[in-house]
Amino acid sequence: MPEPRIVLQGVRREFRGGAGVHGVDLAVDPGEIHALVGLNGAGKTTLMRLMLGMLRPDLGEVRIDGVRIEDVGSTGWAGVGHLVEQALAYGELDVRDNLRLAARLHGASRRDAMAMADSAIEELDLSRYADVRARRLSLGNRQRLGLAAALQHDPTLIVLDEPTNALDPAGVILLREAIVRRAAAGAGVLVSSHHLDEVARIADRISVMNDGRLIGSLDPNAVDLERAFFSLVHADDAARRAA
Amino acid sequence: MTDDAIRAGISVAIAVEARKVVSSRVFGWTTGILVVGLTALVLGLLAAADAGDARVLARLGPLADAHGWDLLIGVAAQILAAGGFGACGIFVAWIYGREFSDGTVAGLFALPVRRSSIAIGKLVVYLVWAAAVALVLTVLLGLLGLCAGLSETDPDGLGELLRIPLLTMLTALVAVPAGWIASLARSVLAGIAATIVLIIVAQVCAILGVGPWIPLVAPALWAIDPTAVPWPALTVVLVVPVVFGAATAFTWARMQLDR
Repeated sequence: MPEPRIVLQGVRREFRGGAGVHGVDLAVDPGEIHALVGLNGAGKTTLMRLMLGMLRPDLGEVRIDGVRIEDVGSTGWAGVGHLVEQALAYGELDVRDNLRLAARLHGASRRDAMAMADSAIEELDLSRYADVRARRLSLGNRQRLGLAAALQHDPTLIVLDEPTNALDPAGVILLREAIVRRAAAGAGVLVSSHHLDEVARIADRISVMNDGRLIGSLDPNAVDLERAFFSLVHADDAARRAA
Repeated sequence: MTDDAIRAGISVAIAVEARKVVSSRVFGWTTGILVVGLTALVLGLLAAADAGDARVLARLGPLADAHGWDLLIGVAAQILAAGGFGACGIFVAWIYGREFSDGTVAGLFALPVRRSSIAIGKLVVYLVWAAAVALVLTVLLGLLGLCAGLSETDPDGLGELLRIPLLTMLTALVAVPAGWIASLARSVLAGIAATIVLIIVAQVCAILGVGPWIPLVAPALWAIDPTAVPWPALTVVLVVPVVFGAATAFTWARMQLDR
């Protein structure tokens, strides 16, 4: 059995007031698209930050390709692509230069970075904006730029937080194809979303998060995902109130 | 991570940061205002002093009795010690603090290039900028002196010109804490506020004549009166970028997106 791309064991990180993530176990296998769904404030972004070293857990551990996150070296991080919160896009640089710099930061040589950027511009249909400064891009095209920066180096672990935010329908399809293509090549993908229908189209597994915990999973092929989702969330809320 | 990987990471960070800085408006405006502003102020003050303006002569203090290169460089040095410090502090605060105001800091996590390497890359780019500004200011003030005929009236004073690159670099070095404050507070404005406080402290101490051995004060004191600060005291200034550069790298290495 291949090593999961990422494993979280008993990960806990609590903020003042009780918000945060309260003991989460989760794994993303190679070739798997794992969706994380939940209401606002459920802890999805916090969980993703913990996976990427943006936060350190109070308890538990995160492993990427079997290596504890504290010990992941440059080669390990070169295989990670993410878009959590805002895109890595500098307003004074055009789309092409932004992508080249992002590729360099992901370990690509100067020459490879140029080729990667050109390829990503084509994949995310950014050709018209290649020479446009990022500060002049619409929100949707800025999001495409951020996604291109996260995916262009063909990472083996992809973490995307609400990646369809601000995307137009064409952008959503391009993103879906880009994710499916990379998963087919062996990448493990964790993606959070509010759009259950959208998630159901590509996810192999859907985990539901509520109040900082994983409370169950949904069948991507189920007929009424929305009803199943709210059943889980309401049952969890009721159980916690009763406890 | 191996030493080679760390070195490679720093090299990439320098290249990336240099590209970002050179393309930014802040770079052009800060450099332009510092270079053009200082040159224009020097010209204006010297013209007013030459015309016998009593207020300007009073402000110049002991410099009012100076002549030739000594007067030109003395005036430039005094402006540079305060104005240059402000420009350097603002620039270094922006270099670090912009990642928070632009929302790009999250993208600097989970990379093969360490965040401490990125912090060092930013510092290197800042110091290279300061060296370039030092060179441009020296050339401009040299040309100003030559145009004023100082090569004939005061040929022996040309060596004074060397105070400009040295003072520019010393000023840039003591402004490094502003980058650390901007990183710690995650705010460009906090770095700028720190710069203003540091300017006031340094200028007050310089005017009172205290602290030639205090790194923060030594350049400003030296700008007013080079004989007041022994050479070893100037070398102590190097402690500032080393300590605060290391503190900045550590702050970036240990950073969490928890606020």
